[in-house]
Amino acid sequence: MMNRMVLCLFFATIFFLSICPASAQQYITLGVPTSLKLIEGYEGHKAAQLAIEEINAKGGVKVGNEKRLLKIEALDIRDGEPGVPTSEALLGIEKLILDKKIYATVVGNFRSEALLAAMDIFSKYKIINIGTIAMTPKFQEKVLSNPEKYKYSFRNCLDSRYLAGYIQNMMKHVSSQFGYNKVFIATQDVLWASATGSMMEKWFKDNGWTVAGFDKYPVGATDFSAGLMKAKSAGVQVILPIFDMPTSGILVKQWKSMKIPALMAGFISPLMGTKAWKTFGEDIDGLMNVVFEIGYFPVKAYPPTVKFSEAYMKRWKEDIQSGHGAAPAYDTVYVLVNAIEKAGTLDPDKVVKALQETDMVGVVGRIKFDKGHQLIFGDDPKTAAVGAVFQWQKGTMAVVWPNSIASAKIVKPSWMK
Amino acid sequence: MLVYGLINSAVLALMALGFNLTFGISGVANFAYGAIYVVSGFLTWTLINHLGLPYALSAILTIGIIGVFGGLIYKFIIRRIRGLVISEVIATFGISIVILEFLRYVGFIGFKYSLPVFIKGSVEIFDTYVDIQRLLIIAFGIFLITGLYLFTHHTKIGLAFRGIAQEEHTSLSLGINPDRIAGWSMGMGSALGALAAIVILPLGTITVDSGYDVLISALSVCIVGGLGSTFGVIIASFIIGYAQTITATYVSAHWTMIVSLVAILIILAIKPSGLLGHQKELEERV
Repeated sequence: MMNRMVLCLFFATIFFLSICPASAQQYITLGVPTSLKLIEGYEGHKAAQLAIEEINAKGGVKVGNEKRLLKIEALDIRDGEPGVPTSEALLGIEKLILDKKIYATVVGNFRSEALLAAMDIFSKYKIINIGTIAMTPKFQEKVLSNPEKYKYSFRNCLDSRYLAGYIQNMMKHVSSQFGYNKVFIATQDVLWASATGSMMEKWFKDNGWTVAGFDKYPVGATDFSAGLMKAKSAGVQVILPIFDMPTSGILVKQWKSMKIPALMAGFISPLMGTKAWKTFGEDIDGLMNVVFEIGYFPVKAYPPTVKFSEAYMKRWKEDIQSGHGAAPAYDTVYVLVNAIEKAGTLDPDKVVKALQETDMVGVVGRIKFDKGHQLIFGDDPKTAAVGAVFQWQKGTMAVVWPNSIASAKIVKPSWMK
Repeated sequence: MLVYGLINSAVLALMALGFNLTFGISGVANFAYGAIYVVSGFLTWTLINHLGLPYALSAILTIGIIGVFGGLIYKFIIRRIRGLVISEVIATFGISIVILEFLRYVGFIGFKYSLPVFIKGSVEIFDTYVDIQRLLIIAFGIFLITGLYLFTHHTKIGLAFRGIAQEEHTSLSLGINPDRIAGWSMGMGSALGALAAIVILPLGTITVDSGYDVLISALSVCIVGGLGSTFGVIIASFIIGYAQTITATYVSAHWTMIVSLVAILIILAIKPSGLLGHQKELEERV
């Protein structure tokens, strides 16, 4: 009797083990190689996971005649952290491809140089990569330099050229409402921020503005009083900040405590989300921030953002804090699924062709890629993906531009005449 | 510029006092000082936001806990290698990395960690608005320096501190236990770091990476002022603090990052013991 039981258990185990790989094959695995400890990576991963759960709840993705479920394999490649070499990030990506047999990657690299180097790996293994964080325009240039080789790489988020365009639109909007034309630029002393600052300096000069100063602050700076005093004594009407370091919130606090009579309008990453108000409170009232992609907070004029924000909150019990990456990561999964279903196969070459023809409604607006596989941005979510400008107004993030989704007008800080 | 230069100097002095105290008494260069500063900020934040304790009580508890933590680091790690300078540096720097990376690992990432200011609002001084928290930093700096002076000149343990700092072996013959006093100095240095964190961090946010910046700031002030000299620390804070403010005002904020490093280079070339330091002073004269 005992022997028979042991034999039964043995065959049951063999049977179980034999069916396991078969059921594992039912999944299409998406890799999330990114900096999971940084806010954009952390939230991008969660947003992609949310999309996958929604799709799986509806039975999965239809590949030809069968339905397949999706799953995520995330790996913290830390390429957004200082001192981590690009080679380490690339090893992480290759590990995901070879060990986890991923079909595609989403979210992806932080650092531009890591993205550009990874594109060769994606081509080598024919892995579809739809990134939502790194922003270098060199990406499109590389795709266009050899469209056949780099056809597997797409970017479903803003790039730095579009960012500069949005800041310019914000300044035009400020100028049209108040007639301002004197600005002080303050940026973080890192390549992307100072390059955007220089680009804006040129634009200001070409468009009749006076640039009263351009200060670059080292990472970790905690005192901005000297720059603010310079701005005040020069009589500027607008201060353009471009920062993503955690201590940059101090700039806005000092702007308020020193009562600098100028609008603060630009990009300060730590002040993008609802927790910024909880952290800094009224100190940041009046700050105008550029949103890279809409969707991370509800914009009433565009219902998909409301639906996504609520779903994210319900699933993860917290709202999104980063104005970059999360909504696009969510959209990316749907874009990929849409392409797979359209192609009717998992053949990467056929799916890439379907991706190139993408035209669908997403959380960030209408999703279409240009020839360089870059998501096309505009100022109306019905026609293109959209960024925005919001102003902190008594604890709410009031969208002041573009007009297609704006809910408020710019309000000057109380100490400004 | 005058006002903000003074505030900047007070911030640097506050950051450096704890590091300087530990080194001055025990001779241990506590490279975990920046990590202790950061962990103090996160501990206070946790006590306020997760345990719902009042701000003042959280601050007092933090200073106490961090002081004990510093003493325990000495007792269980540093005591065994005291006097072996390289080993001390490696051990304390290792502790620093462990603390900071542990904080990162358990999820202290993002921008939401900030301590509330003691008193909201700003006042106008010489046609410049200054927030009250910054003025409090100056007040705390003066209070701490005065308190340290009184402590080291008028209390039994303070006199023992000075005794060990001046001549350890002679102090031993007078019944002062150098290990115990060195442990106390490590604990007090850590507590001073915690106090500095609680006063300075309300100006901005608490981040793991700032641990390394704080260590560099404290080190540069102590090297320029002379390791172990409290008065030297005060002078060096003023020199570096005003040099940074003048650089930011008349040159560019971009160059402020190298001011303290240039100051270290100059002082090492001219007077390696620092402005008022006694370490290696004899060798310099010889």
